[in-house]
Amino acid sequence: MKNVMGVIYTGEKDSFLRELTLLRAIAAMPVAGRYRVIDFLVSGMVNSGVRNVGVIMQKNYHSLMDHLGSGKEWDLHGKNDGLYILPPFLTRENVGVYNGALDALHSNMGYLRRSRQEYVLLSNSLMIFNANFKKMFVEYRKSGADIMMMYTKNPDMLRPEYGTYLNLDDDQNVIDIEIDPTKPQYQNTFMEVFIMKKDLLLDLVDRGAAHGYHDLTRDIFQRTAHDSGMKMVGYEYTDICFRLDSVQSYFEFNLDVLNPDIRHQLFPDDRPVYTKVRDELPARYLGDAHIMNSIVADGCIVNGTVEHSVLSRGVKVDKGATIKNCIIMQDCHIQEGVHLENCILDKQAVIKQGGRLIGPKAYPIVISKNMVI
Amino acid sequence: MKNKKQCVAMLLAGGQGARLGILTESMAKPAIPYGGKYRIIDFPLSNCTNSAIDVVGVLTQYQPLKLNAYIGSGSPWDLDLAHGGVYVLPPYVKGKSGEWYSGTANAIYQNLKFIEQFTASYVLILSGDHIYKMDYNAMLQHHINTNADCTIAVREVPWEEASRFGIMNTGADNEIIEFEEKPANPKSNKASMGVYIFTWDKLHKYLTEDAANPNSSNDFGKNIIPNMLGDEQRVFAYDFEGYWKDVGTIESLWEANMDLLTLPMPIDLYDKKWRIYGRNPGMTPHFVADGASVKNSLITEGCEVYGRVDHSVLFAGVIIKEGAVVIDSVLMPGAVVERGACVRRTIVAEGAIIGAGSEIGEEKGDIAVVGQDITLPSGTVVKAGEQRAK
Repeated sequence: MKNVMGVIYTGEKDSFLRELTLLRAIAAMPVAGRYRVIDFLVSGMVNSGVRNVGVIMQKNYHSLMDHLGSGKEWDLHGKNDGLYILPPFLTRENVGVYNGALDALHSNMGYLRRSRQEYVLLSNSLMIFNANFKKMFVEYRKSGADIMMMYTKNPDMLRPEYGTYLNLDDDQNVIDIEIDPTKPQYQNTFMEVFIMKKDLLLDLVDRGAAHGYHDLTRDIFQRTAHDSGMKMVGYEYTDICFRLDSVQSYFEFNLDVLNPDIRHQLFPDDRPVYTKVRDELPARYLGDAHIMNSIVADGCIVNGTVEHSVLSRGVKVDKGATIKNCIIMQDCHIQEGVHLENCILDKQAVIKQGGRLIGPKAYPIVISKNMVI
Repeated sequence: MKNKKQCVAMLLAGGQGARLGILTESMAKPAIPYGGKYRIIDFPLSNCTNSAIDVVGVLTQYQPLKLNAYIGSGSPWDLDLAHGGVYVLPPYVKGKSGEWYSGTANAIYQNLKFIEQFTASYVLILSGDHIYKMDYNAMLQHHINTNADCTIAVREVPWEEASRFGIMNTGADNEIIEFEEKPANPKSNKASMGVYIFTWDKLHKYLTEDAANPNSSNDFGKNIIPNMLGDEQRVFAYDFEGYWKDVGTIESLWEANMDLLTLPMPIDLYDKKWRIYGRNPGMTPHFVADGASVKNSLITEGCEVYGRVDHSVLFAGVIIKEGAVVIDSVLMPGAVVERGACVRRTIVAEGAIIGAGSEIGEEKGDIAVVGQDITLPSGTVVKAGEQRAK
């Protein structure tokens, strides 16, 4: 895997996550009490032996840069290779706004060329999974294909009017690609992860840009599948995966992590997920705490009732407060007598004494960052 | 002058800590876990970082493996520097002979060359035995302002306990006129904290003289300080107020952990300006299941609680199964309490597994200890004050 570089594109469309992505990229969304979406990808790559990871940033990339830092937490701060943060920049032919992954790759051709690796593992950052990419790379080498695309048969990933779906023949050859169909015809959801030779990617990006294309999947892969000039194959990912493409799916994913089976599948002992460390003391429970079926991160102080919820780092729950089915992001303060149900509280929100917020289960209330209610 | 540092810290971490019984059988005392996610050595190391002292020599001798691995490059404390940082200094062979560190002063004496590299004007001597937050830089400024040869941090202790400590009798301006080790009739209640700052040339002189004396026990408290006082050197006390806890015995280690469960916390570990850093295990946030009960406790990442936890401290990755009860106890990383077991007033060391239905410790009496990596079969009974090793 030393010969594979990882590239993560974080510029995907995110308006469907409403307030949550107003100030950050999806890749920087806080999940499961202490992680960011991108932690799963970067950790997966590092655990698979990838030593060079580039993260292409588009908008709102401050929180992502702050989170990744030097890459130290992922052991990506070596002298050679390591973590490369690739924010947009302005040049004569580059206006700094990417209309798709192809644009972004075109702007970062220099980084790709300079890297010593022969192969590229490229990924989007809308999905959460903890993959062993080594297995995929072995399959890729065996297959003799030009491009290998990761997909899942998980029926929960099928979405109307959204997503990329693959039609495969018996030998895993990709024979058709559907993008954002009203009703997906194929059951194989493309996980927006693929492997190919770096030289081929550079060539495709260069030619694509010369034709005025922006989107890698639509303009390159879809056309290629039809022209069949290259051998494209699928790789089925059979482990657990989640897609964050709505407030509802974000909400459900976090609550799913409460299930011990799901949690142990997503966080296996041999593939730890690394994240930025905050050096806070353990969570502290006081005399009036009632807690059940919840995950609680370090730095929390709990003296109220918490049920079926996720508390991120540094959350305070005062005496007499009740939290049920909620996702509470870091440093929120829920004061005395507050009652919250089916809510997502973004970072540093404060719910003052006696507040009452009860959302419908199917459409959780979202409280934006720094709000005081 | 690239290597110039104003002050170099030397942390004495070679002691066995025999009074901690089976807990220090396989690791040095400074590596003992404390407070749910720290080890004792995190406190002096974090104090150094927060005091802007960025060269720390850690003198190891007894069971250093765990401590060395824990310190590593020093990155958790921001001590992984190109110039300076943390250095682990074990005893080494010199010429034809090699020798162990024979005392606290001897450990520093054998590493004078290490300190010389940094051409420091001052040397801070620390021990890895206490839980406290202290600004060493403020003490250094005090040392410089009083033009002292040696400054000793002192803390007032209750008079009835003074005879257990090294007591400093001070005169005008807090100058130390007499040092008494564990006096039967103390004249002062200012106890030495084992934190010293020396002006480099004086330290060099006294350590060299001490090393030449075959009758010396090569100890700061017994030899160096009394010798300096005898020569009428400028030795001053530096008053420290605030939480300071010796964790040298099973009882005091347990108490220091329980201190974190009182309100308000006697040592403020939430202080963002004086964070205590440590090596992070990197596990998922902890999980508390349906039917579990958790009160008055500290619980950290990787724990899974299905039973009842009251007034206890749980380190990373501890698992409390259904029907198990944990009260007034400290469970170190990776400990498991199987179904229906009851653990009271006990320190459970790293990786110990307590079999189903066991009765460990008692509601009253001395603290029980379950040693590292031991697996207790179902129905084991461990009495108050008993220590069960592998």
